[in-house]
Amino acid sequence: MTSPAEHARDTEVVAARPQPRRGVSLRDAGPPAALLVVVAVFAALSPQFRSVANFQNIADAAAVLAVVTCGITFVLMMGSIDLSAAGVMGASALAVALLVENNRNGNDLGLLGIAIAVLLAAGLGALSGLALVLLKVPSFMATLGVSAVGLGVATLMFNGVQPNISDTMLEGWATGRFLGFSWLTWIAVGCVLAGWLVQRYTRLGRYAYAIGGAEEVLALSGVRVAPYKVAVFTLAGAFYGLGGVMVTSQLGAGLVQAGKGYDFAAITAAVVGGTLLTGGRGGVLHSAVGVLLIVVLTNGLVQIGISPYWQGGVQGLIVVAAVAAAVIPQRRRNQVVK
Amino acid sequence: MTRTSRPVAALFSLGLAAVALAGCSEGESTASADAGSCEPSDVKLVGQVRNESNPYEAAWLDGGDAFAESVGLEQERLTYDGDSTKQQEQVRQLLAGDTDCLVMNVLPNGDADTTPIVKGADQAGAYLVTQWNKPADLDPADYDRWVSHITYNGVESGQQIGDALAEAIGGKGGIIALQGVLDTAAAKDRFAGLEASLEKNPDVKLLDQQTANFSRAEALEVTKTLLTKHGDAVKGIWAANDDMALGALEALKQAGRDDVAVVGIDAVPDALTAIQDGTMTATVSSDGPWQGGIGLAIGFCAATGEIDVADLPADNRAFFAEQFLITDENVADFATPATDAADFECDNVFDRVAGPLS
Repeated sequence: MTSPAEHARDTEVVAARPQPRRGVSLRDAGPPAALLVVVAVFAALSPQFRSVANFQNIADAAAVLAVVTCGITFVLMMGSIDLSAAGVMGASALAVALLVENNRNGNDLGLLGIAIAVLLAAGLGALSGLALVLLKVPSFMATLGVSAVGLGVATLMFNGVQPNISDTMLEGWATGRFLGFSWLTWIAVGCVLAGWLVQRYTRLGRYAYAIGGAEEVLALSGVRVAPYKVAVFTLAGAFYGLGGVMVTSQLGAGLVQAGKGYDFAAITAAVVGGTLLTGGRGGVLHSAVGVLLIVVLTNGLVQIGISPYWQGGVQGLIVVAAVAAAVIPQRRRNQVVK
Repeated sequence: MTRTSRPVAALFSLGLAAVALAGCSEGESTASADAGSCEPSDVKLVGQVRNESNPYEAAWLDGGDAFAESVGLEQERLTYDGDSTKQQEQVRQLLAGDTDCLVMNVLPNGDADTTPIVKGADQAGAYLVTQWNKPADLDPADYDRWVSHITYNGVESGQQIGDALAEAIGGKGGIIALQGVLDTAAAKDRFAGLEASLEKNPDVKLLDQQTANFSRAEALEVTKTLLTKHGDAVKGIWAANDDMALGALEALKQAGRDDVAVVGIDAVPDALTAIQDGTMTATVSSDGPWQGGIGLAIGFCAATGEIDVADLPADNRAFFAEQFLITDENVADFATPATDAADFECDNVFDRVAGPLS
């Protein structure tokens, strides 16, 4: 996270050219085009879908997934995988619910409580990273384990009684609005922006790309890769932690299951947006498009009145079709097609 | 896969060895120990549920503790994290130990998980009470030591809250329904109950029905979407469980709506608080603490000979238990989960039988 200017030169040499010039526009155009098509189709089919209130609703619904996906994108860019979101979010949700004003204890730490919860989540993320680089546990296993640890920590804090929050600031995140969107949406926008800046302008972000593109080259160039890997997992953990805090704000209570389903939803969103599981491609903005695509689908299928018995299957089909459309321009280079 | 399969294999082989060993000693003891000849102090009580991270199942185990204390014993609290494999492992380990006076009150993870538990317990001679899930063709009456199976009539509870909702919105208006996990019996039965209620209340219109998979977070998003879709036409929300009802309440709060009635099922503490506050209309309680105590009590009475399992009528072996509609009128009685020791006396353990399984 050092200043970008002084390292910009060698990074550019070392980073194995994350964005090859040829075919850039064509390759990146897939997911946004798919998003536009899906929005247009739903808007044509349902007058409620194209209402202003519904677009606010979509943005609010996308907020948490956007933050979680932001975190997971850095891990995917590195070519690793992260399944720890559910557990880490659960731990931070319970932690924040017990630290801000609540019905279980006398704590009223406000912002500090939120910060502690995010730090706890970052710590869990670091644990994944350390298990990966020190113990050589594959990221798949390490993060699955950390997810279980997070759920365990959350269950211990839960202790049989659900903590309901009464902190007005945290509750206000979900209910208060600014320019028509809830504060959670603005927080998500801020996270995506911050994530993009980290990815674009810091050594951490550029090395994450480079590790995913060609780790050996990076290592042979004398870069110590391990600390960056740990840092990436820590950063991801912090994003999940914030996601957990946001879920707590939405639900008004700290739930052990706060992050349930977000691990795979976030990976799906990232891949739909064009971030490759093999690493070295994609990025925070790509993933944000993926998040919108997923959320618009979920919302639109309800708005046009598809029976709930059909929705799961229909949504899956559209996601696969969208990914297919998105990767056709880069099919030759896509190593995930196996 | 390697992570799970190795310990599983190790545990499995350990389990096999233990079963083999236990089998040797078992041979004599089952022969001598007739059904119902246990000293009360020799009885070992085990309560097993999915996890303690939801208030309902935590209260269930507390009810088990309360019963155990009333007979001077302790309950072993087991949880299996909603993992069928883990549940079977725990049961195997239990049955590999001393099973002569073992009493188990089990919440099987799914219908299919009940069969191996029942067969294992029957072979080992342990007294077993199961709740909620069993395959339709598996009948306690065919087994000596599977004393009872207790469950609740989802059609009835779905209808009870449907009627309460219809009454709350004055008998007419639009409602939306939040369904549970669509392929579960609970979700199907409860929704069938709502449909029955809608037939009785022709002016109540079901505007939309969606699944929120019994989840509070999913219910929040689905409800927000449905509120933008149907707007002011929504007068009531029927949810197949309280978690979804609570998610719907948050959605209403965020949308600034306070004119919508919400009903759920399960009577989780937050729902009871919401009913006390007047933000929620009704829920249905199966009485978790009672469930935790009654399973052990039935098994205990069978093990000590106060109940003769072979003589029990069929509707005491597999039955729907009584459930309670909670509204603002009676919510105070349910606000603090508690058990009544009288419910667990051997003469009273079948007092809440509401009818045979249909």
